[in-house]
Amino acid sequence: MTTVALSELLGSPVFDPAGTRCGRVRELALTPQEDPARISTVIVRTTSGDRLLPFQAVLSINGGLRASTSSSEWSPANGAEGLFFLERDLLDQQVIDVHGRKVVRVNDVDLHQDIVADHPVLKVGSVDVGTRGALRRLLKGVVPLSALRALLRKIPPKPIPWEFVDLIETDPARRIKLKISHERLAKLHPADIADIVEDLAPDEREAVFETLDEEVAAEALEEVEPKVQKAIVESLDSDRAADIVEEMQPDAAADLLADLPEERTSEILLEMEPEGRKEMVELLEFGENTAAGRMTTEYLALSPSATAEEAVDALRHFDGSVETLSTLFLVDSRGTLVGTVPLAKLVLASSSTPLLALTQEPLISCHAGAKEKEVAELFDKYNLLTLPVVDDHNQLTGVITSDDVISLLRAKL
Amino acid sequence: MRFLKRWKTRTLLFLAVVGPGFITANVDNDAGGIWTYSSAGAQFGHMLLWTLIPITIALIVIQEICSRMGAVTGKGLSDLIREEFGLRITFLMMLGLIIVNFGNVVTEFAGIAGSLELFGLSKYITVPVCAVIVWLIVVKGQYKTVEKVFLAASFFYVTYILAGVLAKPAWLDAIVATVVPPHRDVLMRPDYLYMFIATVGTTIAPWMQFYLQASIVEKGVTKRQYKASRLDVITGCIFTDVVAWFIIVACAATLYAHGFRNVNSAKDAAEALHPLAGDYAYILFAMGLFNASLFAASILPLSTAYTVCEGLGFESGVGKKFREAPVFYWLYTILIVAGAGVILTPNLPLVKISILSQVVNGIVLPFVLIFMILLVNKKELMGEYVNTPLFNVITWATTIITIALTVAWFWTLGKGG
Repeated sequence: MTTVALSELLGSPVFDPAGTRCGRVRELALTPQEDPARISTVIVRTTSGDRLLPFQAVLSINGGLRASTSSSEWSPANGAEGLFFLERDLLDQQVIDVHGRKVVRVNDVDLHQDIVADHPVLKVGSVDVGTRGALRRLLKGVVPLSALRALLRKIPPKPIPWEFVDLIETDPARRIKLKISHERLAKLHPADIADIVEDLAPDEREAVFETLDEEVAAEALEEVEPKVQKAIVESLDSDRAADIVEEMQPDAAADLLADLPEERTSEILLEMEPEGRKEMVELLEFGENTAAGRMTTEYLALSPSATAEEAVDALRHFDGSVETLSTLFLVDSRGTLVGTVPLAKLVLASSSTPLLALTQEPLISCHAGAKEKEVAELFDKYNLLTLPVVDDHNQLTGVITSDDVISLLRAKL
Repeated sequence: MRFLKRWKTRTLLFLAVVGPGFITANVDNDAGGIWTYSSAGAQFGHMLLWTLIPITIALIVIQEICSRMGAVTGKGLSDLIREEFGLRITFLMMLGLIIVNFGNVVTEFAGIAGSLELFGLSKYITVPVCAVIVWLIVVKGQYKTVEKVFLAASFFYVTYILAGVLAKPAWLDAIVATVVPPHRDVLMRPDYLYMFIATVGTTIAPWMQFYLQASIVEKGVTKRQYKASRLDVITGCIFTDVVAWFIIVACAATLYAHGFRNVNSAKDAAEALHPLAGDYAYILFAMGLFNASLFAASILPLSTAYTVCEGLGFESGVGKKFREAPVFYWLYTILIVAGAGVILTPNLPLVKISILSQVVNGIVLPFVLIFMILLVNKKELMGEYVNTPLFNVITWATTIITIALTVAWFWTLGKGG
């Protein structure tokens, strides 16, 4: 296997079987729907316009391409092919480096050349985002090739393997045609996705958020900074925005909706499922700077007489997110808060222990109308991980988790 | 964009009160601007006034294009150039930008040196001290507060307006000269053409286009919102050129009218404020010039470093450590150190150098304009926000006229000898 740089191939001459020069290589293209890495087509610039040369018709690559068909057999390139062009769509563009978890700009592309059944096969190996690729692009044609290659060998490459590259395509039709999804991006931690998304231009951000799975998008959106969050939600369609908001944690979703202009919030609420909408509307009624404005309504509440075993079972079936589960809450038949059980105590107890015996003393809670300062003080004083929020009748209405308090405090730092 | 996160720590924007357009306009009246307009008034009286209206129109159009591109694409100018024209062209453009901006940085430090010399402070002390201050302000991230101070202190420009009025200029002559160009013989004089190019170059400086577009992106202005920033851009441009008009008129009425045709130092220019403030003219002038120079000296190297790093794909941002973004920090530091260093050469003709740097601005401007025109007319990029035919005509006209001026200047130089 040999490696050849894209910039070296671009502009190189193309010969027909008789050895006459018919044109220059203008573009190399992939058909991602068929094979995500193999070059499928060459666009040749001839005297009679741009023409399509299927890569199977290439006999050899050696300082130029030799084709097995003559130029008259090549069809004209009209630009409507479902192809991904390396020079136009990849070179100098921004892509997502999923391994390095950041956005990078492509300086050059390294192609791997193999011979399979006597036939050359060219695949995209990696993209070069470092100085080596940049220098090659700058000096190609200016410095003789052998000297250039000798110079470049001395510079360490900064390649990103093609498997770790996530492409960004802002045209929805092309996205579908070329099967550009963000599967690899979706596997990253939401905070990393958020970092990456914050580095993109608005259209590109929108493209990512329209393609990602709703749950992944929701988790990532929660971690994006508020200003960018707003911009993203405003750019999405109302129903897509509603889908994502529904998957978000209620407190984060309420914060986001509260920051949007009223009509936009209404539009999104309209598209939501009734239960999700009801929850949002309730949370939105509370002022943002009170305890209730920060709480989440996803928590696990059990009867005080339930046993540890029943609690573990309930945990297994819990539908919400994991953060509030560091504490279980005990409520009586009327929903009044009776006690809190730290997860650690639950794990250490024997299966028949009633939960009431495992509660943390004293029982700390705060009123829904409590101010942020009071909430933070409680967390600090009692070293809490979660704080239950009760209404006037001492009934449990929500839970504030430590990550909310940390965000709150960081904003003041 | 990386812009958004990085520029947060040292935002170059007033968030609530003024927008990117107004700030760019104020930075436009930097040391180079003040020197150029003062010299224009002193050397040629009212004969360059007619250029201001066409220049203002061109400036408004060009700034509007940049803010539109920033709002619609969400990307900076150097990013667009990289994505649409490739690495090699971007590299050459960035190289040119560094050279041109270096000249501008030198000019800002010349302004600092010149203004403080009026108080008897030696440039060998003031320049290094201010260079360190400028470097620290940005790197330590106190930029936002300092920016507010600078902008508030920019009201000093108003003193030129007042000086212009109190100098009892020949109002009728000035107004006529604002619309009627002088005779062709004057137009074709090499020194006149030189000053013409300098006036264009200082009002429509290439670096400002990159800076403005990046500011719009940083502010997060969207397609729907950008119509509001249009007003901000237009008022900024008009304000800047009104001040320029008055600077020229004030210097024409004082220096030119009394035969002091050459502005060689800050002292000469301060004389222009004499009608306003008498013997304290130099204090007002010095403070205004110092404020303008320090402000621009804080913005210019930083903006250059960001533009170049973004265009060429290097890490950038004052939130990062030196190790993490070496090219960015080195570029920024070298621009300041070398810029200040040049000024420390003894017996340097500060004003002449400053005007030369603005001439270089004017010569490089057409290249940036050509890129802008090509970009803003691309349908794939701008969608329905491509240029109207009128805007295209104005921008092409500006490009061609600026090139023609440069060619004419070279030609008359050769002829005159």
